[in-house]
Amino acid sequence: MQEINKSFDDSGRRRKIFCSTSARFPSGSVSVIMGKSGVGKSSLLNLISGIDLPDSGHLRVGDHCISAMTDTQRTLFRRRHIGFIYQFFNLIPVLTVLENVILIAELDRVSQKKYLPRAQTLLEQVGLWDRRGDFPETLSGGEQQRVAIVRALVNDPDLVLADEPTGNLDQDTGKKIMEMISSLVRDQRKTLIMVTHSPDAAAWADQMFAVADCDLAAMDGPFHGPSHG
Amino acid sequence: MGSRTLIRTCLRHSRRHLLRTLLLIFGIAMGVAGVVAIDMAKTSVEKSFEMSTTALVSRATHQIVGARLEIPQSVFKKLRTRLGIHRSAPVISRHVTLPELDDRIMTLMGVDPFSESHFRHLPLGTDNRDLSAVMTGSTGVFIARSHAGRFGLDIGSPLTISLGGRNTTVTVAGILDSRDKAVEQMLEGLVVTDISAAQEILDMDDHITRIDLILDPKDLAEEIQDRLPEGVFLVETDQQNHAVRGLSRSFENSLTAFSMLALFMGIFLIYNTVSFSVSRRHRLHAILRALGATRSGIFFTVMAEVMVYAVIGSILGVLLGILMGKGAVQAVIATVSEMYFTLTVGQTDIAGITLAKGLLAGILTSLIAGLFPALGAAGTRPVSLMHKSVSELRFQKMIPGLFVAGLVILTAAALLMRTGPARAGYDFTGLFMIFFGAALLTPLIIRVLVRTLLAAGARLLGIMVTMALRNITRSLRQTSVLMASLMVVTSVYIGIEVMTGSFRQSIVQWVDDHIGGHVHVSSADERHPALDPELVARIRQLPGVTAVSAYNIHPVFSRAAGKVHLFSYESNQSVMRWSWTAAPETELAALLENGWIFVSEIFARQHQVVPEPGAAVVLETRQGPVSFQIAGIFRDFFMGGGRVVMSRPTMARYWGHDDITSMQLFLASDTPAEPVMDAIQEMIPPGALIQVRAGAEIKQSILAVFDNTFIITSALQVLTAMVALTGILNAVMALLLERTREIGILRACGTLPGQVRQLLIYECFFYGLIAGIMAIPLGAILSWILIHVINQRAFGWTYDMVLTPGVMVQAVVLSSAAALAAGIFPALAAGRTQISEALHME
Repeated sequence: MQEINKSFDDSGRRRKIFCSTSARFPSGSVSVIMGKSGVGKSSLLNLISGIDLPDSGHLRVGDHCISAMTDTQRTLFRRRHIGFIYQFFNLIPVLTVLENVILIAELDRVSQKKYLPRAQTLLEQVGLWDRRGDFPETLSGGEQQRVAIVRALVNDPDLVLADEPTGNLDQDTGKKIMEMISSLVRDQRKTLIMVTHSPDAAAWADQMFAVADCDLAAMDGPFHGPSHG
Repeated sequence: MGSRTLIRTCLRHSRRHLLRTLLLIFGIAMGVAGVVAIDMAKTSVEKSFEMSTTALVSRATHQIVGARLEIPQSVFKKLRTRLGIHRSAPVISRHVTLPELDDRIMTLMGVDPFSESHFRHLPLGTDNRDLSAVMTGSTGVFIARSHAGRFGLDIGSPLTISLGGRNTTVTVAGILDSRDKAVEQMLEGLVVTDISAAQEILDMDDHITRIDLILDPKDLAEEIQDRLPEGVFLVETDQQNHAVRGLSRSFENSLTAFSMLALFMGIFLIYNTVSFSVSRRHRLHAILRALGATRSGIFFTVMAEVMVYAVIGSILGVLLGILMGKGAVQAVIATVSEMYFTLTVGQTDIAGITLAKGLLAGILTSLIAGLFPALGAAGTRPVSLMHKSVSELRFQKMIPGLFVAGLVILTAAALLMRTGPARAGYDFTGLFMIFFGAALLTPLIIRVLVRTLLAAGARLLGIMVTMALRNITRSLRQTSVLMASLMVVTSVYIGIEVMTGSFRQSIVQWVDDHIGGHVHVSSADERHPALDPELVARIRQLPGVTAVSAYNIHPVFSRAAGKVHLFSYESNQSVMRWSWTAAPETELAALLENGWIFVSEIFARQHQVVPEPGAAVVLETRQGPVSFQIAGIFRDFFMGGGRVVMSRPTMARYWGHDDITSMQLFLASDTPAEPVMDAIQEMIPPGALIQVRAGAEIKQSILAVFDNTFIITSALQVLTAMVALTGILNAVMALLLERTREIGILRACGTLPGQVRQLLIYECFFYGLIAGIMAIPLGAILSWILIHVINQRAFGWTYDMVLTPGVMVQAVVLSSAAALAAGIFPALAAGRTQISEALHME
């Protein structure tokens, strides 16, 4: 992120979220973003994923400058390079577990041979292959979030964005989900940027950032991510 | 919690969805407009009839009429001199055409100025000369001041009066003038002259149409009837007018049926919109309940809101109805004039009761339609704050029960229509029950159809198709209402399409069977219609003529219908389609020779002939009332009071006609009609009023008349469709709005805007496709009811139902196209969904 400025129209007034904010999230690492409600944590993820555009400044993912892309290019980029995990799981209720997982690949007309084995492996890893034919409403919150994690990883993205992934789960389940996300991301050598309120998240972070006063500031370590032993 | 706060909260919510709120108001307005327009047309026919007919007889309590629709003037003299009845007036009344007045059809009224004072006050302007002097002089007539002004006529201007091809030039002798607007409008349908002038113009010799009487006490009636010559009758004026007026009543009732249909659509629409609106506010209602709003508070809030829209929509509907009504009045008056009785005054009547009826219909139906959603809203539990699916789940469990209830209601409707009295009220109730019962079947049928489509391989068409289909069953509580509405509209389309299509086919068949001759020769002389027998014989011998239908047609008096037409064939090529016969068809000719008669379906209905062996009817003949045995009832589209076919000896004996008035010539396949028509024209002596027309031309003009009959039906079909489409658009918009969050997720995951649009378009297409499929059986049932119940009661004719695969395919295509059209705008909007905003919609 380079010199990012972003403001919103708030009942006729412009409310600034980021002012000349710059940051770098190293690949293959887990970055955790913390901050109070309403400071712009989710907006930051929207900017990184290309869902939203900055007023000025540049956003790059690897060699790709997202802020310079058209809407269609950003959508396709998101589809192929970014995985999303949400607080409320956001599974499509009319699709089964497996259909939810393979939705993006189907939309991208990827051959079944390519994505089905990966979907199966990931679902087996999270223990839900047996429930592949079930609809989301029949799953518990933790199970739904496990499906969402698999959906985020199935297209082999470079970047995984997680917005309060444990915010809607009890403490024990949340902990298990965090372990699962972090181990899958590390196994697959992905970059994870996670927004959370949870103070326990530091345990899985390689680095932490705080959003405050229209800026994103790196927090001092040490952190206790698994890679740090 | 204050009800004012509650209502304000809900109204603000509606203001946020302004387009949908406006659509709801528009839908209510269209439904009300249909009711107002049709009611206006009905009251206008009533008013026009009154002005065209009733006003002319004015204070007469009785009339003396003849079996052949005329009586010798000597009857009047005898009445005055021998019976001493002074409150009597001779009248000649005939519909004539006035070419100078844009070919307007008016009543030529011949009166005796000296006898008129008891009956009518024909208003005369100050610039007129003395009426009696004018009338007893040359052939002078009086016309209304409005006509004189509009067509630049003044006293002394020549005026042509046309009757059956005979043109007579008369002079405008005076202007009928009145300051009373109602009287002035009544005068617009009149051309008044003296009895003797009327006799001259109409070539009636010493005959008159009727004698008006004021009988007080009424017991004189019997004495008068006893002294009247044979073939002359005393009738009560009111009774007679009632009989004539009754001819078109059923037709007008059928229009009410169609306007009710538009209102039914309105009920579905309002229910649709209100239930969607309530369901969308589930969270709001749950919060309000959690904060302390009572069940009744929520209920009355929803009802108050519906009331606001109902009042606005109904007022707009009344105004719109008045505009539409003006067109409907013209169409209905034209149909009534062509099919039943001539209306010389076309009066647009906007009655206060019509407007009140429209307002009441709009408000009441809106409130009824809002009742269930309001009860649903009141039943919202605070704990269900986040779970709209609770009510969906509850609905899904109710589906089998709804199906059974639907079957019960359909069975009850069938029983009601089959065994209930033949009254319009029962038919409408039955019809509404059929729609309602069918609507209750839809959730289960939709579920089965969606599963069938998915099982049949819809899944292979991609994940979007699968999603679209599953989205339908996921929100069945809402989608089933939307699809039931679409099904009902499509079934109405099928019903009307099949009814008009089958009818047209039957008319074509009837024309071919009854008047299928290649060349028609008929007398246009109403007074002396007999064709010269020598001419008839020569025409028969023309080269190329292979067969001939030669017959006479005579209008005669009927107490039950005012006027009926008698036919007797010398040679007959027509094919009668029997709906009932008293004997095998092989014996019919013999029965006819024995003095039995055949009557048309319309005649049978007007004269309350019960179709069973031994049926008979009394007809007024020259020899007085005579009972005739009915050999059979035939299917017929000849309008008015219907027609009677009898043998030539019967006609001659009882009505004194043994002439030929019409001929149909059937030509060899290699003989064109034109040379034959030219040859006949050459045979016709100069001045003879004989029409020679090609069969094809007659067929076209008959079809045009019948097509006109359905103009108003088609207009109502369009209106119904508009009401329904408004509802569907509203519902689709509401449904798709609920998908905003889902669309946000899809977009965030990498679904392109085009793919989102595709998903919604698929969904809408399936709404239409499934609704269209479900509409086919309902449409077939509706067609049957329209043809065999409502139409038969309206017009008195029966015809076979023709349900072609083309109509069914058309209906499914139409239903799918309508749903697709309703989905385009929401789909476009969905493509532009702001992902971040949509994802925040928790």
